Amino acid sequence: MVTLGIFDAFTPQNVQYLLGGLGVTVGVSVISVILSFIAGSIIGIVQFERIPYFSTFVGTINNIIRNLPLLLIIFFVYFALPKLGIHLPIFWATVVAMSTFESSMLAEIVRGGLESIDKGQFEGARANGLTNIQTMVYIVLPQAYKKMIPPIISQLISLVKDTSLAMGIVLSEMTYRGQIVYAQNSTYIIPVLIAITLVYFLLNYGLSLIAKWFDRRLA
Amino acid sequence: MSMIEFNNVEKYYGKFHALKNINLKIDKGETVVLIGPSGSGKSTLIRTINGLEEIQEGNLLVNGFDLHDPKTDINRIRKNVGMVFQHFNLYNNKSTLENVMLAPRLVLKRSEEENKATAMALLDKVGLADKAANMPSELSGGQKQRAAIARSLAMKPKALLFDEPTSALDPEMVGDVLDVMRDIAKDSSMTMLVVTHEMSFAKAVADRVIFMADGEILEDSTTEEFFNNPKEPRAQQFLSQVDHK
Ligand SMILES: Nc1ncnc2c1ncn2[C@@H]1O[C@H](COP(=O)(O)OP(=O)(O)OP(=O)(O)O)[C@@H](O)[C@H]1O
Ligand SMILES: [Mg+2]
Repeated sequence: MVTLGIFDAFTPQNVQYLLGGLGVTVGVSVISVILSFIAGSIIGIVQFERIPYFSTFVGTINNIIRNLPLLLIIFFVYFALPKLGIHLPIFWATVVAMSTFESSMLAEIVRGGLESIDKGQFEGARANGLTNIQTMVYIVLPQAYKKMIPPIISQLISLVKDTSLAMGIVLSEMTYRGQIVYAQNSTYIIPVLIAITLVYFLLNYGLSLIAKWFDRRLA
Repeated sequence: MSMIEFNNVEKYYGKFHALKNINLKIDKGETVVLIGPSGSGKSTLIRTINGLEEIQEGNLLVNGFDLHDPKTDINRIRKNVGMVFQHFNLYNNKSTLENVMLAPRLVLKRSEEENKATAMALLDKVGLADKAANMPSELSGGQKQRAAIARSLAMKPKALLFDEPTSALDPEMVGDVLDVMRDIAKDSSMTMLVVTHEMSFAKAVADRVIFMADGEILEDSTTEEFFNNPKEPRAQQFLSQVDHK
């Protein structure tokens, strides 16, 4: 019964099973991208504003998280939090872990982007009568985000790739399901891995197209 | 009542004593030029008036409100006091017209129609009506500065502060900006404080000249007195170094 056909791996059941995994990967990614973009922006702004004690405190926590391996954070949320009475289903545990880690990475990008804006922009706006918040919303953030698009997108691309780390807690995402599929038959290994590679590529290529579109619109 | 009043003001940057016992009154409608060598504290002094720099001692009354009083709302003062910077500080992400319209819209809640009419009239006044849709990056230095002046005027301020408005400009751009400033000074209700090295402008427009060195006001005289008969040796020396024919 051994055949060498490259498409043999893709029986209807296997394809359906893999697509389900893709759904999980996309689901975790999209929710984490949105959450970490919002949280990362807030944390980055807090660090930038240099609020006495508070900014230092937030900055320290952020640096600790940023320097931990993501897998460790995933393990912590899935295995350690339940011991503290917080039980999260595996999907949401992954989302929380990914969002926490990516927020801290994005916060650093946001802080750096804000630092790169000329002080004159703040002074011009403040002298013109704008409040601190108006200055941020109308003048500084639009300029900062425009500069930050490339690093933010490359961070979000690694977020999509990093969802595969959730295999570590047996989240049934795409890469994990690929493993299950090629465990059926060793000839499936190469086609399945190629298919998965293609899907990650398409996801991330899509992201970079969105980035280009934003970049042109904001230019 | 004076528009701006410094009483025994002291300003420190950390340990560095940048303004020393400043006493100064500027009346409504006056045009005052502030000069002095580099590092004497001119920018620092002018920037305390709209709260871009804090003072540590004394009191500083602007339009009757004490800037050193924590209860004073700094944004209320900034509504009435415009500032023009050496490096323009136009909003890089907004067109020339939007630069002029933004603060009146957000801060004064001026209606869109009135805001646009006022802004266009001001751009026309500073010779930039045809640049309304351009971004700051598409303007020359002199045009940027005139746009920045229009932006300040759109708030209908009671006072305008200028910190070396022509120092970053190519020589051939300076005249247009000074013309606009001269025009503003003619308005008898506008209070102007100008830091500049343009002595011809000072002579032609200023009611008074303040000379600073090392964080102190050394001389405060009428324009005529200052240029014909400076009392302080350091002012005499300064005048002999700058070209003031
Ligand atoms: N943010 C700051 N921190 C520390 N010291 C400062 C700061 N700003 C200015 N100073 C110091 O205060 C003194 C006065 O500076 P200021 O900029 O007011 O001088 P200035 O008269 O405007 O000079 P210039 O003609 O070069 O513009 C200088 O010695 C300067 O080094
Ligand atoms: Mg200066």
